[in-house]
Amino acid sequence: MSRLKLQQICKYYGATTALASGDLLLERGEIHVLIGANGSGKSTLCKVIAGSVRPDGGTFELNGKPVMLFGPQAAREMGICLFYQELSLANSLSIAQNINLYHLPTHAGGLIDDAELNKRAEHYISKFETVIGEGFTPDAPVAKLRPDQKQLVEIMKTLASEAEILIFDEPTSALDRSQVECFFSILRELKEEGRSIIFISHRMDEIFDIADRITVIRDGTTVSSRLIEETDHSTVIRDMIGEQPEAAALEASLAPQAEKKTESCLVAEGLSGAHIRNVGFSLAKGEILGLGGLHGQGQSTLLRTLFGAEKLQSGTLLLNGEAVHPTNPRAAIKNGFSYVSGDRVRDGVITGRSIMENVSPIHFLKDKTFLAFPSVLARIIEPALGALNTKYSSLGASISSLSGGNQQKVVIARWLTNPPDILLLDDPTKGIDLSAKSELFALVRKLADEGMAIILYSSEDGELLAHSDRILVFNNGSVSRELLGEDKTRFNLYEAAYSGAQ
Amino acid sequence: MTKAISFKSRMATLLRRFPFIPALGMLMLLFILNGIAEPNSMTVRALKGVASTYLALVFLSVGQTFVVYTADIDLSVGAILSLVNVSIVVIMSQFGGEPYVVLLALGAGIAIGALCGLMNGIVVSGLRMQAIVATFATSILISGIALWVLPVAGMPAPSLFWKVYGGRSYGIPNVFFFIAILIALLAIMAKTGLVTKLLAVGNGQLSAYQSGLSVTRIRIYGYIICGIFAALAAFCITGDTASGDPLVGGAMTLSSVAAVVLGGTALSGGIGSAFGSAIGAIIIGLISSLVFYAGVPSQWQNLAQGATILVVLMLGVLASKRINQ
Ligand SMILES: Nc1ncnc2c1ncn2[C@@H]1O[C@H](COP(=O)(O)OP(=O)(O)OP(=O)(O)O)[C@@H](O)[C@H]1O
Ligand SMILES: [Mg+2]
Repeated sequence: MSRLKLQQICKYYGATTALASGDLLLERGEIHVLIGANGSGKSTLCKVIAGSVRPDGGTFELNGKPVMLFGPQAAREMGICLFYQELSLANSLSIAQNINLYHLPTHAGGLIDDAELNKRAEHYISKFETVIGEGFTPDAPVAKLRPDQKQLVEIMKTLASEAEILIFDEPTSALDRSQVECFFSILRELKEEGRSIIFISHRMDEIFDIADRITVIRDGTTVSSRLIEETDHSTVIRDMIGEQPEAAALEASLAPQAEKKTESCLVAEGLSGAHIRNVGFSLAKGEILGLGGLHGQGQSTLLRTLFGAEKLQSGTLLLNGEAVHPTNPRAAIKNGFSYVSGDRVRDGVITGRSIMENVSPIHFLKDKTFLAFPSVLARIIEPALGALNTKYSSLGASISSLSGGNQQKVVIARWLTNPPDILLLDDPTKGIDLSAKSELFALVRKLADEGMAIILYSSEDGELLAHSDRILVFNNGSVSRELLGEDKTRFNLYEAAYSGAQ
Repeated sequence: MTKAISFKSRMATLLRRFPFIPALGMLMLLFILNGIAEPNSMTVRALKGVASTYLALVFLSVGQTFVVYTADIDLSVGAILSLVNVSIVVIMSQFGGEPYVVLLALGAGIAIGALCGLMNGIVVSGLRMQAIVATFATSILISGIALWVLPVAGMPAPSLFWKVYGGRSYGIPNVFFFIAILIALLAIMAKTGLVTKLLAVGNGQLSAYQSGLSVTRIRIYGYIICGIFAALAAFCITGDTASGDPLVGGAMTLSSVAAVVLGGTALSGGIGSAFGSAIGAIIIGLISSLVFYAGVPSQWQNLAQGATILVVLMLGVLASKRINQ
């Protein structure tokens, strides 16, 4: 009898399907790895098991008995504890308080027993003694810790539950090699004790190091579950990609085999900053350069750094042969850069203002006009919006009256009033619908054909493969591989993104 | 160099354990300024006067803290105070001022405070309404009940009541004993698991929920504690003014919020100390007495008081920023 048996678990958020049909069989004393592309539903499945997300359907059996969980507390009582990918720590509380938050040890009178609190925390801290780094005392506040140390606290908090089923959702994403080794040796001990462990990671070598069984999830559906002896890297990657004939055809047909563009307008060497390390590339006029890899490997940071919104610590940047140093967006705009973020609400839309006001700021900045006459502005703004087939009732209407896709078009139109030389697209299609996407990319291609240089980061791999001339695959802040021509396939992209991860 | 760093980090650790340290410094400063402006303000008699006038605000601010811990707010504390004030005065005058009646009235007062807190908790946490608007609404409701209980101000409290509050034992004013009891109570409460859980909820409700805490229930407890402290504050007001007034607490609500902030508790929740709020309340009291002693003309007193509070707030923010850097 399996310890945990999930069948056809599904979960919907409005129109998005987070999980379509999640199946999982978890045995006693095994380390069970879940793998799948970003957004495939791994975390959702884990949260269902840990009771923090209520499934919309499917069966859930614990030790052969069907159960219904009403919240994380109920799951804890049944011996299930989850390491949350986004962490579940209280920043201003101490390490010891965080580790023991669920069961705060008390004296007979009901007051907290500090000695016992620290003793219990020490017990778990000591397991990581050699790798925790400085300032890791039980009474230190979590807020002051480094990201890897916070992750270790969340690991300790999960271990402290002493639950029979332990789930770790990307616990190693910020850890270094020695910390991972230490964690893995603890996992192996737990396995010997007969505990069941679910482990998620995007690092292929780690997975093959620790797994007893690998289950692959694709688009919210469990597609395969194999013992480690029966599988290998490429089988796993193939399961993750699946058969996608129409997508593959699309990629092939759209893959632009344009003539070699040689006139490079932007050359970067050894760019380093907060989340990027030693990034170099050259970008030609009329080229669309794609940035690929797992989420958050430095792609957005690179774009924001080029735009002067993030600090560049070292490296050189040549724009048409002249050295430039991006210090702030204003200077970057004057140099001919433009930046479109997928996070419209944070970076793009000026909420509560009219469409006209949303399109005009770059025009004002570049033309230094003192007075603004709506009739004159309209002559500049309307063609820019028209080029994108933006649907709007009038220029005076509020930006919030538009759909997400049309709002994004307005944000892009902002740059078209005074066309830039270099367009930086930071996941520009986040949350916009299919037709808007294809219109957008048609325009991007048109701009490139007119000679604009474009860097595109997209979290959707299909988009990236279909619309870029060349792809730089990012890993941990640096470029691990360049894909061009024949090599520009989904398989190679995944392999570079996953296998190269360290 | 390293010495300076370790000093700074030691200060930061200290500040984290005792977030009220900047407020304590400010309190000292105001004491000294008061003493300079009017040496007589340092006598036991004058101190007793300040203490008995502001003890109600102290209790009210302490109560407010437990709600602010979870990033909520309670704008009905003043109304609860008024309701408890008129209720106990009416009970005592209905049944006579015997000691057992006084005790009964106090019990009833605490029950009323707790019930009001429970109502706020259910509205905010159970029904998920915005704390600031929901408690504003309940404050009007509670004031309405207070006006129904006692439509006009002025019903006197029995002499036993204000004699105990204003009297002395062993030569020491009784209010000082009340302060000592409050400090002991706060020291004990700070060690309860509930305070740690309130702070955890304030740090992030989702994280707290995911950690297996019953967030809804914990927030309701915060409001109940706040209601009980508002009742205790009402006892102080009743002892100080010796009468019932259905509108007595209205102006104190926002002072209690200011005191909480002055005491180093973040309105965004998750960090702070109830003891700091007590100090913050006394700071507000000392500022008004300083403005009075410094001889500020009456038409300028509000302006001077407001400006001083702003300055003190700013100094507190600067101090903690410098240390935490
Ligand atoms: N609370 C939510 N509201 C709306 N959509 C959500 C929510 N949580 C998840 N989703 C969506 O459900 C899908 C699956 O998300 P999930 O977090 O499970 O992916 P994942 O496999 O863990 O990805 P990753 O590798 O990036 O962590 C995504 O498309 C995500 O946008
Ligand atoms: Mg996830």
